[in-house]
Amino acid sequence: MGLKVLPPTLRKNNRYLAVDIKIDSPIAKDDFVSIVWDACVKFQGELNASNFNLWVMRFYESERWDGYYTYKAIVRCQRDYVEEVRSSLALANRYKNGRISISTIGLSGTVKASHKFI
Amino acid sequence: MFFDLNIKGSSLENNLILAEQASQYGWNHINFSYSQDDFSNALKFKKELLNELEDKLSFDYTLEIKSNNPNEIRKITNKFRKKSSCISVVGGDLKVNRATLENIKIDVLSRPYLRRFDSGINHVLSREAADNNVAIELCFKDVLKSYLSYRSKVISNFKDIYTLYRKFDFPLILSSRAESVFDIKTTHDFIAFFKQTGLNDEEIERSFTAASDILEYNGNRDNLIFKGVRRVDDGS
Repeated sequence: MGLKVLPPTLRKNNRYLAVDIKIDSPIAKDDFVSIVWDACVKFQGELNASNFNLWVMRFYESERWDGYYTYKAIVRCQRDYVEEVRSSLALANRYKNGRISISTIGLSGTVKASHKFI
Repeated sequence: MFFDLNIKGSSLENNLILAEQASQYGWNHINFSYSQDDFSNALKFKKELLNELEDKLSFDYTLEIKSNNPNEIRKITNKFRKKSSCISVVGGDLKVNRATLENIKIDVLSRPYLRRFDSGINHVLSREAADNNVAIELCFKDVLKSYLSYRSKVISNFKDIYTLYRKFDFPLILSSRAESVFDIKTTHDFIAFFKQTGLNDEEIERSFTAASDILEYNGNRDNLIFKGVRRVDDGS
């Protein structure tokens, strides 16, 4: 049997970042998870990154081709650490010898609401 | 208003792609920077670029002087002063940093910390920057393209400049120096990064104002008689 769900007052408050990804080579969701973690641990360090409560909620492939692959994703983080996560993701620039760029295009309090940015 | 005074300019097509992306990501004004060798060529397709970008965002050109010779910097500045809305000099060399900050005709000293183990400016140069109204520019790209210890050192140089900025109050501008769409970030991401390095909201706001002031000042440069006195058109 799983753990009982925490009462609302004890739960963590989350924010959901809608991100725009541009990359030279195709990636899957798992690759993106490691890119997000690497970026945060690299810029903020292991200790700070432990506060972020990071999770990749959704990952969408795009049909568009502008000389690079584009993807959209929704990344969860803790409410008070949005700026830290944003700046860390913005600083990701290499993945497997190719270029990558991650830009946060929207921020909202629920996954549903963050869909308007996708 | 979000201003980026240093996006690396290249061909017309590339500039259009960069401008389109910048406009999507919330930038209001960008300046394409060209070196002294390419600047005249770039002026040839400025009108065409203006027509294409008319309803998207405003843009202009920055002359980016790359030279280690202070005398040459002075000559190039005098030659291009009337043609360019912003003149910046790439720093890094102590002689160049000093010559730039002492020259009232130059608008920006770009990246005084480049290829150095320190920030490239001290209290003397900071005072010169404040007196001559020469802005000091920090580029996001220097952090983006570096990693590990080198990235830490660049951020450390940024922090040293912030300390001097708070004491001497010289104009500070923040720019991306983007070369491709991969280097352009949303305005919020850009601000979030500089907040992380130690600037506060008001200082970031002032950096955008400083960039807009440079463009406005140079727009009125023909009407300036001497420092503090400007010819105004009263309509009569």
